[in-house]
Amino acid sequence: MKKLWLYLHFPRLQMDCQFLAEQHRPVIILEAKDNSTRQLNELASKAGIKPGMGLGTACALCHDLHVEPYNSDLESNKIKQLCDSLYQLTSDICLFPPDGILLRIHNMLRFYDGLDNYWQAISGTLDKNNIRYHYATGATPFAAKILAQSQWDQVCEDRQQMHQQVLAQPLDASELPTRVVDNLKRVGIRLIGDLAAMPLSEIARRFDIQLVTYMGRLLGELHHSISFYHPEKRFNRRLELLYEIDNTQILLPPIQLLLQALEDFLLIRDQVTEELLLNLHQREQASLTVTVNSAEGEYRAKVWQTLMQLKLESVQLQSPVYALSLETGNTHLKTPRADDLFSGKKTALSQTQLIAMLQAKLGQELVQQISLHNDFRPEQVNRYQNAGKALSPLPKLQANRPFFLLSEPQKLNEKVRLLQGPERIVSGWWDDHAITRDYFIAHSAQGRWYWVFRTAEQRWFLHGVFA
Amino acid sequence: MNNILSYLKNKHLIWQGKAINEPDSGSLSGYPELDAGLEGGLPTQGVIDIHSDIGIGELRLFLPYILQRQARQQRLLVIIAPPLQINGEMLAELGIDLNQVLVIRPGDQQQALWAAEQCLKSDCCHTVLSWLQNLEIHQVKRLQLAAKQSHAVQVIFRQQQTQGLSLPVTLSMSLQPQAQGLRIKVNKRIGSWRHQDIQLNMQALWPALQLPEQHNNDNNIIPFPKQRAS
Repeated sequence: MKKLWLYLHFPRLQMDCQFLAEQHRPVIILEAKDNSTRQLNELASKAGIKPGMGLGTACALCHDLHVEPYNSDLESNKIKQLCDSLYQLTSDICLFPPDGILLRIHNMLRFYDGLDNYWQAISGTLDKNNIRYHYATGATPFAAKILAQSQWDQVCEDRQQMHQQVLAQPLDASELPTRVVDNLKRVGIRLIGDLAAMPLSEIARRFDIQLVTYMGRLLGELHHSISFYHPEKRFNRRLELLYEIDNTQILLPPIQLLLQALEDFLLIRDQVTEELLLNLHQREQASLTVTVNSAEGEYRAKVWQTLMQLKLESVQLQSPVYALSLETGNTHLKTPRADDLFSGKKTALSQTQLIAMLQAKLGQELVQQISLHNDFRPEQVNRYQNAGKALSPLPKLQANRPFFLLSEPQKLNEKVRLLQGPERIVSGWWDDHAITRDYFIAHSAQGRWYWVFRTAEQRWFLHGVFA
Repeated sequence: MNNILSYLKNKHLIWQGKAINEPDSGSLSGYPELDAGLEGGLPTQGVIDIHSDIGIGELRLFLPYILQRQARQQRLLVIIAPPLQINGEMLAELGIDLNQVLVIRPGDQQQALWAAEQCLKSDCCHTVLSWLQNLEIHQVKRLQLAAKQSHAVQVIFRQQQTQGLSLPVTLSMSLQPQAQGLRIKVNKRIGSWRHQDIQLNMQALWPALQLPEQHNNDNNIIPFPKQRAS
């Protein structure tokens, strides 16, 4: 089967991501390194600004020009994101940084029953992103690229037509260095076709090996090795905010976008996660990490949104946030909840979900379970631990223990009537909390039932209340 | 209708006989006197309001009932804002599975109410015990609604109050200590008239906590072992 490639070129990626193109003023995106205009909107190009122009020239042409610095991280993030969504439709994807994606499509056509269906699927996904793109098919990666960059915007399987189209492209559109192109122009070679008409061996004698390789790859005479894209194993996505936000409630809609992306990511992989790390990148402050846990693994955006909302209520921002990033903790395969079909109605939430929700709002340490330890000392028996963890097995239990314990025994300063006892507890000689006590059940004049003890020094303390 | 009457009705100070809901037949509380006094037992869902001091037996009143609910439904027992530390050993000794017990210590009453409502709504708690003060009518209504939705019971423990406000609860009782157990005054019970106070004898279920006729336990005190000088 002959190879067929599809190249997608995104000419204004950063502008589209930041919604700058829709603004009613001329905007350019300037690469500070070489002081050249990389992207511009319609108003800017109407004013006469061209890509590659310096800042001085651009400003001279247009007095109310808005200039944005070029952000390569943003673009590469967005490209990766596009790759992730395209990966659901097509198998072989290759990144052409900073603004292109190459797809190997001939092996997918049978699956989609033709190029039209395939292109429909691909373009449908691309259109959802509201990003301007140009596209073209080609017999080689470079051919597809040169056609897409020249805004051919066609997909076809007719190799002859594609070949003619490539030959008609000017040399400026190629990836050859300007010096080489200038040299070729001087000898009257202006189009790719002119160059292709000459035998490769002739070119190799007169020009350097770079030109030969390029032409060979462009025309399919030399092999072009491509390394394909593999999607990330873990979800980690960053979202630049359009403006700075200093209120956590206003942060929720952008977080919702990230959570939706997370849901799509996990759903496709049939995975769930128990932990989300949300990084709030703050202007002038270290970034703030918010950890949200759910004891039951979860992937649904709706559930995470509720937990996130509860968690954010207690988060204080020190300075405005300009970007968010979301990553997952450990992920693992989803195991379905074992609900009994015949046990009546299903509960609205599972117990673990309830615990996760309470912990998100109140904080982990306020939602607790009681674990008992094997000890005779009443202070040591109860260990409060954060809910959701396994409890230690039950020790041997003592009878007649009160419902409430005072966290610290208090001096008994009330007249009580001793009713039952003593129960002598002498224990703990092996650590620093040795006790020698006689415990009694006592009844106070107000009708309260106390658990009191006497120490060896005949001092009386109140330790518990039978409620 | 008369203006004053409708005003009183809106304030929940009077209610009409024809609008009576059938009282729910209740589930046994474990105390025969109480079951008789409440014509069947404690309600199976809704909000129970208890006015009581701490430590007179207010929880012992409910423990047989909670045990019963725990055994029947694999759901959680949630304890919110207890005034003192809960002793898990006692719960375990009674036979309550500590895996099914959640203790929440919220920072303020607002959080306590929120947590209680979430627990009731979630449908995975059978009983929520909360210690709250100064409740508003709308707060109790929310709890009542949530509890009825998921057939759960919310028990609210409060200190004795002389508050005139009638809260929309299913059952409201005031507890007074007594030598044998408790004297229970039923302030309100949906669908029934006021009854006589209930004299509750708790000694049968809690033999350790009873007042003897004659108080003599002086002779069973043994001196402490001499501590070695070290």
